[in-house]
Amino acid sequence: MYRFSAHALRDLFCKEEVSAETIAQSTLKRIAHYDHQIGSFLSVLSERVMEKASRLDQKRKEGKPLGRLAGVPIAIKDNINIDGQLTTCASKFLQNYRAVFDATVIKLLEEEDALLIGKTNLDEFAMGSSTENSAYHLTKNPWNVKCSPGGSSGGSAAAVAARFCPIALGSDTGGSIRQPAAFCGVNGFKPTYGRVSRYGLVAFASSLDQIGPFTTNMTDAAMVMEVLGRHCSHDSTSLAVKPEEYLKKIEEDIRGSVIGVPWSFLDQLQDGAKENFHQAIEAYKTLGATIVDIDLSLLKHSIAVYYILSTAEASTNLARFDGVRYGKRSQRAATLEEVYDFSKQEGFGPEVKKRILLGTYVLSSGYQDAFYRKAQKVRTLMIQQFKAAFEKCQIIAMPTSPMTSFPVGAIQDPLQMYLQDIFTIAANLAGLPAISTPCGFSSDGLPFGLQLLAPIMHDAKVMQFAHAFEKATGYSHKIPPLFDKMEHSS
Amino acid sequence: MSDIAYENWEAVIGLEIHVQLNTKSKIFSSAPNRFGDEPNTNIGVVDTGQPGSLPVLNKEAVRKAVQFGCAVKAHIAPFSKFDRKSYFYPDSPRNFQITQFDQPIIIGGHVIAEVGDQTKHFAIHHAHLEDDAGMLKHFSTFAGVDYNRAGVALIEIVSEPCMHSPKEASAYAMAIKAIMEYLDASDCNMEEGSLRMDVNISVRPKGETKLRTKIEIKNLNSFNYMEMAIEAEIRRQVRLYSEKPHEDPANVLSSGTYRFDVEKKETILMRQKEEADDYRYFPEPDLPPLVLTEEYIESVRASLPELPQQRFKRYVSELLIPMGSATILINEKKLADYFEEALSVCDHPKNVCNWIVSEFTGRFKDTGKTLLGSGILPAHVGKLVEMVEKGTITGKIAKSVADDMVANPGKDPEKIVKENPDYQPIQDTSTIEPLVDQVLVANPQSVADFKAGKERAFDYLIGQVMKLCKGKASPSIVNELLTKKLQ
Amino acid sequence: MEFDEKEVDKLAKLCRIECTEEEKKALCHHIAGILKYMQQLNEVETQGVKPCLRVQETHANVLRDDEVGDLLPREKFLENAPAHVGGMIRVPPVIKFTNP
Repeated sequence: MYRFSAHALRDLFCKEEVSAETIAQSTLKRIAHYDHQIGSFLSVLSERVMEKASRLDQKRKEGKPLGRLAGVPIAIKDNINIDGQLTTCASKFLQNYRAVFDATVIKLLEEEDALLIGKTNLDEFAMGSSTENSAYHLTKNPWNVKCSPGGSSGGSAAAVAARFCPIALGSDTGGSIRQPAAFCGVNGFKPTYGRVSRYGLVAFASSLDQIGPFTTNMTDAAMVMEVLGRHCSHDSTSLAVKPEEYLKKIEEDIRGSVIGVPWSFLDQLQDGAKENFHQAIEAYKTLGATIVDIDLSLLKHSIAVYYILSTAEASTNLARFDGVRYGKRSQRAATLEEVYDFSKQEGFGPEVKKRILLGTYVLSSGYQDAFYRKAQKVRTLMIQQFKAAFEKCQIIAMPTSPMTSFPVGAIQDPLQMYLQDIFTIAANLAGLPAISTPCGFSSDGLPFGLQLLAPIMHDAKVMQFAHAFEKATGYSHKIPPLFDKMEHSS
Repeated sequence: MSDIAYENWEAVIGLEIHVQLNTKSKIFSSAPNRFGDEPNTNIGVVDTGQPGSLPVLNKEAVRKAVQFGCAVKAHIAPFSKFDRKSYFYPDSPRNFQITQFDQPIIIGGHVIAEVGDQTKHFAIHHAHLEDDAGMLKHFSTFAGVDYNRAGVALIEIVSEPCMHSPKEASAYAMAIKAIMEYLDASDCNMEEGSLRMDVNISVRPKGETKLRTKIEIKNLNSFNYMEMAIEAEIRRQVRLYSEKPHEDPANVLSSGTYRFDVEKKETILMRQKEEADDYRYFPEPDLPPLVLTEEYIESVRASLPELPQQRFKRYVSELLIPMGSATILINEKKLADYFEEALSVCDHPKNVCNWIVSEFTGRFKDTGKTLLGSGILPAHVGKLVEMVEKGTITGKIAKSVADDMVANPGKDPEKIVKENPDYQPIQDTSTIEPLVDQVLVANPQSVADFKAGKERAFDYLIGQVMKLCKGKASPSIVNELLTKKLQ
Repeated sequence: MEFDEKEVDKLAKLCRIECTEEEKKALCHHIAGILKYMQQLNEVETQGVKPCLRVQETHANVLRDDEVGDLLPREKFLENAPAHVGGMIRVPPVIKFTNP
């Protein structure tokens, strides 16, 4: 059963060929059996999902109309609220924090009868590119358990790659869906900023965060995006637009379209990655697309701009974690000052502390102009550069990551870790829809990801091009050998 | 120490007034805006800073702010935005406030108020929207935090430093309060904290144009206390400067936040301003900007009710009420409404006004109660004045009736008069007539004056009759008899 | 712009995080490196460029009706509270001064 796509599974369920309880049980069993190898989950919602499954079976029995995701197990990154369940953000600070409301995306998924299976691991507060910053445990890459699944949504990417569930939700602030998708050989989509509600997503950088799906195929991605891509009245940054019909749009032919590639920016790629990317471009040529060269030279400043803006916003977004109303309050705190100082000291990991301090610095008086405002200006220029590029093409193609997955612990220098996101960050800065779709494998058997970007609001286009690529190449159908054993398939 | 020449010094005062808007729900969340309920029973996820919560702006808060801007003839900004202001305190659910730092919704404007016998214009610098903090309740071994108030819509009105005396400051503040009441934008209840005043004050020698160091006085919850605090602070600052006449003024006084101690009648330092608090203001990424069209602004302007100044003009020019009394009435909308209701029963504005502002208010002066809270109906006040006007009772008797009304709130004065024989003016012509004759005989000159055309002589004669009968005769009957006899 | 441990101290005070000496050293080292990296932005000419406030220029005026709803029940709120008393969140005694 683990090999089924979400839409196939839903069909089976609706045709009564399998019960929701069976699906749920099988999923839980598979996780119990295999997840210790990769540690993708922080918590598995066994009771809850069995209860929902039983109710869903009842619903089907009663002949009531079934949701578009009926019977589909979905994993949720643990920075998205499910009412009454732990939302830890992989931090010690929120070890015992139970969400007091459902995120809008959770409501939308459950309205469509999805089965929420568990909360997945992440870099603490979504700050990281390898999931090594989780305060709980490491997540490993299903393709090579010595390697990182990427981050910050490493748990969700790994869970889908290992086929624990066909769909998982992650969040993307600087590449946190796309980069782990690339490392784990699955699709990872970041919608246009404002397309999916952030209500219930623990904020990292408010003007950059977006929730998006991991899937094993583009049809599933389109299906989930039709469910999630809706206006939300609880999120003031949510776009006031009608839901779009992605399932139809992704089938449109890409013949005759123009793809832009910032060739000069790709010089820094390692040889393997360069070759792989060239192959991907050739595949598009075969599909009838024309390739043009575009200028995205400002992208080299992505990291600098991102680490000023995202840390500034994060420093204020995380200020609420003070041990007063919820979260870990230090036992040794005797005064109010100590409640603040010690709770944060004990509750936050080093990367989180670093980014909060950095963010505070770039906003502090005397430095705000030089850093924060300057970064916002460069951001404007980057957006303009993208606009100019999109006058020459409909889609931009780039590798997702400069390299394939690296061994856990291999990158110690924070700046080097930040540079992992050099290709992905710009899409967040400009609010563009972007995807990473599987693009082949390196000589060590690690997946490559191809990144596609479209102008703001053109989510359908991104998915359409990814779908065409997937149909032509079939890379996303490959399952990591460790998790593709027949004896436990059911 | 030699006497300090306070009159050579000038105070420069600016006010920051925080007004809670009386919207049903809070500014960025739909939790209810209510005072006095059990702690933490009017909260939402935004007001308690829950992870994943997001603010959404209340359109009624915007409308009330625009109304205020129109009422003070300010510039309504076509583009304004919100900012985060960071500071740590337990009553802040997120440890940042959402406010408007550099692009507020209301810019400029002014209020007009009477100070003594002068009409003054006080300039407003700007007004902006922001969210209120929760409340901290202090106990000996701990503090409790209640977030009911967290997120309530506030409009902060910042004046120019254009006031120079305690009276000017309270005239300005009262005018702002009146406008808010007339707009029904706030209940302006200072005891409950829906209107809070902070004073910024510095002094300088008269004629000096440069501004000296200012301090801030917070937590003033009555106009009276504010005036006393300002007075005390002016004296304190002048004393300091006078003690060190040769010292650089910048070194004499340091910035800080003070509170006013009512017992000691002194301002007490709470917090020195060692370095500027770094609030690290930056644009709120969770809220898009406010873009207000001309049409919207004009539609709000068109919906303005009668404003205090308009009502003031009406009272002074049309109803001929003295300015001082008019100011008292309009500064408290409920009182002005009370007055107008009384007026519908008795159409003698000056007298009705006098009875309300002077007679009845005077009776409540030291009781801690007010006419408005007394239970005395405006219609009854009207009736009382009407009875005096008609001559049914004398002015003197009316005063006693008023005393009875105070003692028995809600009792109809006509009933009071009926029930008390002492209040019944002597209606019996046969008792009064001899008195009238007596007075006419005793005052031949007045009679002659009257016959010569002097109207005032008539009033004098009436007065004499009333004196004789100890004010108990029915004035209308005395009037009638005198008129008859003088023909 | 010299970024040293004194700066780390100042920042830690502003964001109310207590750091051990070791942490301070590491933080100082890393942050200084990142700040140095950010100097590259000085190469970019931004004279006359407006700061980007939002990616959707036309997105404005998101307002909601003044209606009551979405109440968080007190018991639910207090379930996550580290300490509470009489329905209020309990914190150590606070020096009685006003917040900024």
